[in-house]
Amino acid sequence: MTPGSRRARLGWVDAVVLAAAGAAILYLAYRVDSVLEYRWDWSAIPNFLYRWDEETGRWVPNLLMQGFFTTIRLAVLSMIPAALFGAVFGVLRTAGRLFPRLLSRTYVELIRNIPPLVFIFIFYFFISSQIMPVLGVEDFVRRASPATLRSLELVFGPAALIPNVISGVVCLAMFQGAYMTEIVRAGIQSIPKTQTEAGLSIGLSRWELWRRVILPQALRRVIPPLAGQFITLVKDSSILSLISIQELTFLAMETAVSTTRVFEVWITVAGLYFGLCYLLSLAFARLEKSTAMART
Amino acid sequence: MRFTDPRPGKALATFVALGVAAGFQLRCAPPPAATESVVETIQRRGALKVGVSTFEPWAMRDRNGELVGFEVDVATKLAADMGVGIEFVPTSWDGIIPALLAGKFDVIIGGMSIRPQRNLTINFTIPYAHSGMGIAANRELAADLAWPEGYDRETVTFTCRRGATSCNDVDRLFPTATVRRFDDDLQALQEVLNGNAHAVLSSYPKPVEWAGRDPELLFLPTTDNLSQGDEAFGLRKGDPDALNFFSNWIRVNTTNGWLVERYDYWFKTTNWIDRVRPGSTPSQ
Repeated sequence: MTPGSRRARLGWVDAVVLAAAGAAILYLAYRVDSVLEYRWDWSAIPNFLYRWDEETGRWVPNLLMQGFFTTIRLAVLSMIPAALFGAVFGVLRTAGRLFPRLLSRTYVELIRNIPPLVFIFIFYFFISSQIMPVLGVEDFVRRASPATLRSLELVFGPAALIPNVISGVVCLAMFQGAYMTEIVRAGIQSIPKTQTEAGLSIGLSRWELWRRVILPQALRRVIPPLAGQFITLVKDSSILSLISIQELTFLAMETAVSTTRVFEVWITVAGLYFGLCYLLSLAFARLEKSTAMART
Repeated sequence: MRFTDPRPGKALATFVALGVAAGFQLRCAPPPAATESVVETIQRRGALKVGVSTFEPWAMRDRNGELVGFEVDVATKLAADMGVGIEFVPTSWDGIIPALLAGKFDVIIGGMSIRPQRNLTINFTIPYAHSGMGIAANRELAADLAWPEGYDRETVTFTCRRGATSCNDVDRLFPTATVRRFDDDLQALQEVLNGNAHAVLSSYPKPVEWAGRDPELLFLPTTDNLSQGDEAFGLRKGDPDALNFFSNWIRVNTTNGWLVERYDYWFKTTNWIDRVRPGSTPSQ
């Protein structure tokens, strides 16, 4: 019997701890209620998740769920360039030559030493705003044929929001990429030098050394911290509300102001974020287990 | 030796100088596209893009998630009169001026009042609305305070929405009082409801609506206007054609009474409450 296979059982200590935690929550609720002059009214919330559309006769997502889907889109879409930045700059960080090291170090230090909120504000207004018109995303979407538009909408969401979502993705990927760079660098550097020496001594080329010896080992090591970073990315996407990307936090603010149900809206939103991130945690734990299994 | 060779340095200097010169030229001589008035851009695009910020009753979300409000009526009619479609760009209040400057939309129709400091950065049309500033106070904390002189004390705390006219009014009218600034009106109100601040300043009809909803907690020290706002469209600088067009649109719709009629509907009645917040009790 290995230690990991022991099933957890609920003992009396656990019962005491659970009871204490429950009591603490009840006390907190009681305190909040006595300090906060607030009339709770949850009736408006379900309608802002899903509403009945009389025209089409179907349930359609309303503001909060639209925002939730945009958040998921943002997270998934920015994960790809962020991982790419992380991989490329991470490898450059370990390069022998000075220039690639300087380049990637500048990128990492510039972003890591500016608060995300400040970075996103600056990057969006000074850089992304210059790049987006040059790329002509907006004109492209406006002129796109219905068929192209349909496939674009599948990936980026409603047509009117495509430029908005892309700016969000670029901002998020830029700053998450810096953290991923550091994770990848640490992963590569954790492979002992003797591995490189051994590889070279059996006559592997530089490229083969990377492909067959270093990267497979490094990748396995960086999966857990990268997973953590991905969850951080989902949560950090809420910062994009500052630059009016129509994601969950932004639309929650709009909903809260319109309905005047501030706390109900934010508690719902907290639940949505928690659900999403917790699901991701579970998925990554499973992934980690399967890669650990593959190694043995 | 390599480091003392003057040539790479010279090449670099030339490169930098050229780059700066090119950048400078771009800055001084705007490309032809920038000289086009935004009015022409709108017509070519076939849609008017309007920056709005959610703020009762200027722009709100109804139960279907659609934007409604005074602002929305104004922008919709403006676009219809221009013969183009309308696109709203919901923007957070803090970033609405940078977003206009960055070209995210053509015009701010966001209940923005004309202020000299703002006017240094953007252009304003003539005003299309004049909102009034009101006050709601905590019954328990402020009942004994004489209006208005009793409120101008260090021990009295006001709340207001950050970056809005209300905060300026507190500074102007009650210079000795303590001010706490919040991200939106509802947080500012909540603080007064909780008894952590004496009074909240906000534009009408909100103070009246709040006091009507919680009469046992709130009261109105006065129903006068603490200040009168001049709300106008905000535009990027250097576009006299657009300024002329929008200002005259406002003038025409002021004269024919349309703006006043819409303003009265959103600001002086509560008939719209049921569209936005079904089930809540309209105030008088």
